[in-house]
Amino acid sequence: MHVRAGPVMPGEARLELSSVCRSFGPVQVLFDVQIDLRPGEVHALIGENGAGKSTTMKIMSGYLQPTSGEVRLEGKDARFPDSQAAEAAGVVLIHQEFNLAEQLTVEENVFLGRELKRGPFLDRRAMRAKTAELLDRLKCHVSPSARVKDISTPDKQMVEIAKALGRDARVLIMDEPTAVLTNREAEVLFELVERLRADGVAILFTSHKLDEVKRISDRVTVMRDGRVIATTPTAEMTEDQMAEAMVGRELTDLYPARRAPLGDAVALKVEGLDVPGFAQGVSFTLRQGEVLGLAGLIGAGRTEAMEGLVGLRRSTGRVEIDGAPVTIRSPREAQDKGLVYLTEDRKGRGLLLNMGLRDNLTLQSLRDFTNPFLDNKGEDEALTKAIEDFDIRTPSRDARLGNLSGGNQQKLLVAKVMLTGPRIVIIDEPTRGIDIGTKQQIYDFIHRLAEEGVSIIVISSELPEVIGLADRVLVMRRGRIVGEVAGDEKTEDAIVRLAMGLEGEEDRESESA
Amino acid sequence: MSTTTEQRAPGRARPWMDLRVLGPIIALIVLIVVGALMNPNFLSYANITNVLARSAFIGIIAVGMTFVITAGGLDLSVGSMAAFIAGLMIMVMNAALPGLGGGLAVILLGIVAALVAGLAAGWINGFLITTMRIEAFIVTLGTMGIYRSLVTWLADGGTLSLDFGLRTALQPLYYGGLFGVSWPIITFAVVAIIGEIVMRRTAFGRYCAAIGSNDTVARYSSVNVGRIRLLTYVGLGLLVGVATIMYVPRLGSASAATGVLWELEAIAAVIIGGTMLKGGFGRVWGSVVGVLILGLIGNILNLTDAVSPYLNGAIQGVIIVLAVILQREGKAGT
Amino acid sequence: MKHLKYTAAALALLAGPALAQDTMVIGVSIPAATHGWAGGMNFHAQQAIDRLEEVYPELDFVLATASDPAKQVSDIEDMVATRGISALVVLPFESEPLTGPVASVADQGVWITVVDRGLSQEGIEDLYVAGDNPGFGRVSGEYMVDMMPDGGDIVVLRGIPTTIDNERVEGFEAAIEGSGINVLGMEHGNWNRDDSFTVMQDFLSRYPEIDAVWASDDDMAVGVLAAIEAAGREDIQFVLGGAGMKEMIQRVADGDSMVPADVTYPPAMIATAIEMTAVGMTSSTPVSGEMIIGSVLVTQENADGYYFPDSPF
Repeated sequence: MHVRAGPVMPGEARLELSSVCRSFGPVQVLFDVQIDLRPGEVHALIGENGAGKSTTMKIMSGYLQPTSGEVRLEGKDARFPDSQAAEAAGVVLIHQEFNLAEQLTVEENVFLGRELKRGPFLDRRAMRAKTAELLDRLKCHVSPSARVKDISTPDKQMVEIAKALGRDARVLIMDEPTAVLTNREAEVLFELVERLRADGVAILFTSHKLDEVKRISDRVTVMRDGRVIATTPTAEMTEDQMAEAMVGRELTDLYPARRAPLGDAVALKVEGLDVPGFAQGVSFTLRQGEVLGLAGLIGAGRTEAMEGLVGLRRSTGRVEIDGAPVTIRSPREAQDKGLVYLTEDRKGRGLLLNMGLRDNLTLQSLRDFTNPFLDNKGEDEALTKAIEDFDIRTPSRDARLGNLSGGNQQKLLVAKVMLTGPRIVIIDEPTRGIDIGTKQQIYDFIHRLAEEGVSIIVISSELPEVIGLADRVLVMRRGRIVGEVAGDEKTEDAIVRLAMGLEGEEDRESESA
Repeated sequence: MSTTTEQRAPGRARPWMDLRVLGPIIALIVLIVVGALMNPNFLSYANITNVLARSAFIGIIAVGMTFVITAGGLDLSVGSMAAFIAGLMIMVMNAALPGLGGGLAVILLGIVAALVAGLAAGWINGFLITTMRIEAFIVTLGTMGIYRSLVTWLADGGTLSLDFGLRTALQPLYYGGLFGVSWPIITFAVVAIIGEIVMRRTAFGRYCAAIGSNDTVARYSSVNVGRIRLLTYVGLGLLVGVATIMYVPRLGSASAATGVLWELEAIAAVIIGGTMLKGGFGRVWGSVVGVLILGLIGNILNLTDAVSPYLNGAIQGVIIVLAVILQREGKAGT
Repeated sequence: MKHLKYTAAALALLAGPALAQDTMVIGVSIPAATHGWAGGMNFHAQQAIDRLEEVYPELDFVLATASDPAKQVSDIEDMVATRGISALVVLPFESEPLTGPVASVADQGVWITVVDRGLSQEGIEDLYVAGDNPGFGRVSGEYMVDMMPDGGDIVVLRGIPTTIDNERVEGFEAAIEGSGINVLGMEHGNWNRDDSFTVMQDFLSRYPEIDAVWASDDDMAVGVLAAIEAAGREDIQFVLGGAGMKEMIQRVADGDSMVPADVTYPPAMIATAIEMTAVGMTSSTPVSGEMIIGSVLVTQENADGYYFPDSPF
């Protein structure tokens, strides 16, 4: 038996799913799922997007009911009718997109729906004190009276956890808790997880970052295609084995080496690009067929600089495409010149979640499907081709985009942007929140594009990704390009030192200000 | 993550068994059956023609409103705008009468004046909303008051009346027609068909839905959000002009009482028809059905004594709410 | 020009009491011109003020038009506070909401003239000038009986559901009782041309044989006549409107067989009220009491006396 520090009590399952199946209409998405969470144990649930992790978590926490099978809490049958019932029993799910009322204060959120009262009035003092105590326990320094919309993302997550603890959570389920956190913020979360484990809370989390899984979990369950493939003590599995179990095949090298030599033609030349408030004096060149990485801390101005370049923000500066000076005032003008930007914010800026695949796919290049009436047949053919080329897995061609998994949404977003036939593509965070299999597909795709002579800028906060993909890496800090690394200098250490301003001063607050 | 309930994209729903599509049509059919049972004259040629012709004003406006609402906007000013344009058209024609005589020239001048005024009024709304970035609700609430006052001012608090000679010349625009179908009905049908094609089969319609659904995504997809939005308001203004051209010959007058509450009737028709008030999805044929539902309710209540006339508003309200409830997809809560 | 005057009056209201030391100020508060009759009433009020300001240099007038009862109350409060009015001529938007505020103005010793719509509490006003709503209905009904001595089938269009409308219809019904005149249908046309057009169209669909229409208002008569003309129906002998709109009076004078008569409910009553108030302020003539301006039947013979070409109504 696997033993780690902390009061692990083997065999005593606190929450257990056994033989759980779940169907949506005719589509079965979970098959005989068997998983148990033990008190004082950190359990990782991994799998590709669409493997059934979310459904499993939702069944555990009462958001969904199993079609068949059993949910047991401490040995007793506990098929929660809804999430409130689950919370009342101490089973809390923390969503990837937080469930916080943005306009309310931290304290109001923590006590939302179970406010403390004194007579007919709210007992604000007691609630504030209790909230402060909870936040203290989490080592979170946000004020109970701050409005949630004003606090940072990691703080919001802490508030979510405080909310869960305030409800005496004995089972805490977290959906990709670190997806929105920087490494440093993730460290704080891990410390907290350690403490909760010591308190005897049963914790389940999902993550696409296998190094994290390896580091903090006691046991790991791998899911694929709606089935549990394996549940093993984490210590007995390497990261590669986890990845292979998830994907179901052997993974080749994530970052293949450049096969075609790089030409000399300059596709894009930018000089002195200023985006007021975000970036100053950004200058660089991009060669034809080159993959240029753009690294830096969150808030360094990478996204804003590139949005300025394509006309999404006001900017000044000299831009040349293929040697000819151009003026770009709107995304349309950029697109007409073969320059497109693929946003990092898939849900907020990239895709219309309540509309269908076809309408999303052709939105950016709708002019090519107009004659002057829309060529619905042409659009359908484009969709068929995109589904094939990008391996988009969808319940049906008519599904709303919101019903696709994150990875498949991302693939559709890439397909949508590529449908415009660009020669220069700026891809912002190409693999945020998607699984390893899809990641590999997107990396392959970027390489193929570059081989075809398309020039690419990749903005990424994941250093292995930016190093593995890019021929050269530019590093931004506080709105300026502070360095360039290529060849042997292209190491994580070099990039981090540049991004931090060589001193390694870790002051995220001032960076994002 | 892909494992949420399978919901279909709007507009591509299964044609049958879907209340979102059938709701308004069922309501319309029920009304027709009720009307026919209550009064034998209900299905007479004259009555059907009356209802269609009088629904045409709101109907033409509702087609334009469908685009505005689909693109996430709103226009409260259309009723006052219609009154103002009607007043302007009457004044222009009266003024031009001595110079141009009572013939076709004056009529054409009146028509052009109404269309230009409609375009301009729509453009002003659109400009303030898109370029000045003021909430559509506030802008059109403001222009609603402005146009209403302007027409009162132009009419000196009374009524602007078309010169009697002109009235006879202009009357065929409302009462005349082709093959026994009057012009308002023909125009309404043509506008509705064009509107449906534009919404369903052109990039403009798709852009409207995209903007209403999420304007940031539209902007990041190289859609000129401001221009499309502006065009929806300009188009609506133009259609208000078209509606007014047929309104003026009916009674040959305009006053502060002209077009009162037309905006709400048009918006109600659009929503009954299945367009989403918050934008992102719209259907023109639905708005046409919505207008007919509203028109028929009034007609049926006038044709029977079953309900106290004091309760007309309540009956309308109940039917509007019912028509919208019918369209909801099965489950309530989640 | 008139528009400028309105603005001037509004500005004067803001200018404050400095101007009003030696002159007496008479406040006039009336509903805004939202329909034909109110438009005529606004016109007559403005005309009376223009005329009286010349006749009585010691008098100053403040005119305010309100689009709802709450605005009217604010108008009156402003007049008292900023202009120190000595007399108030008020045509209440609605009786109930205005009663309290006007009573408190009266308590401050201000002369009160109430026009058309009475307050819900008696004895507040010094002078009451009003049209005769039951009389309006009665005169209309009697005319119908005269025109159709053997009885007949008529339809009735009513106004906006209010006391005024109820009194008129009751007076009308009392007058035609036992005459053999049969009311086929009664619907609200809301004193609006478009609404009455629609209602009349539906009446025409519903009743194949109608002898006459009591439109009860000239704006509604316009809509009714247009609907009859469009339907090409020959069975209807005449339409009786009311209130004395100039276009209708002209048709009466011209001997139009569809519009043989009209019944007055003169918007000029506001002018009478303002004038009597001015007289009461400037002389010792006793003017307090109640003055009911009866509704008169206008036919081709006397139409010229009721035709005001300059009035918008």
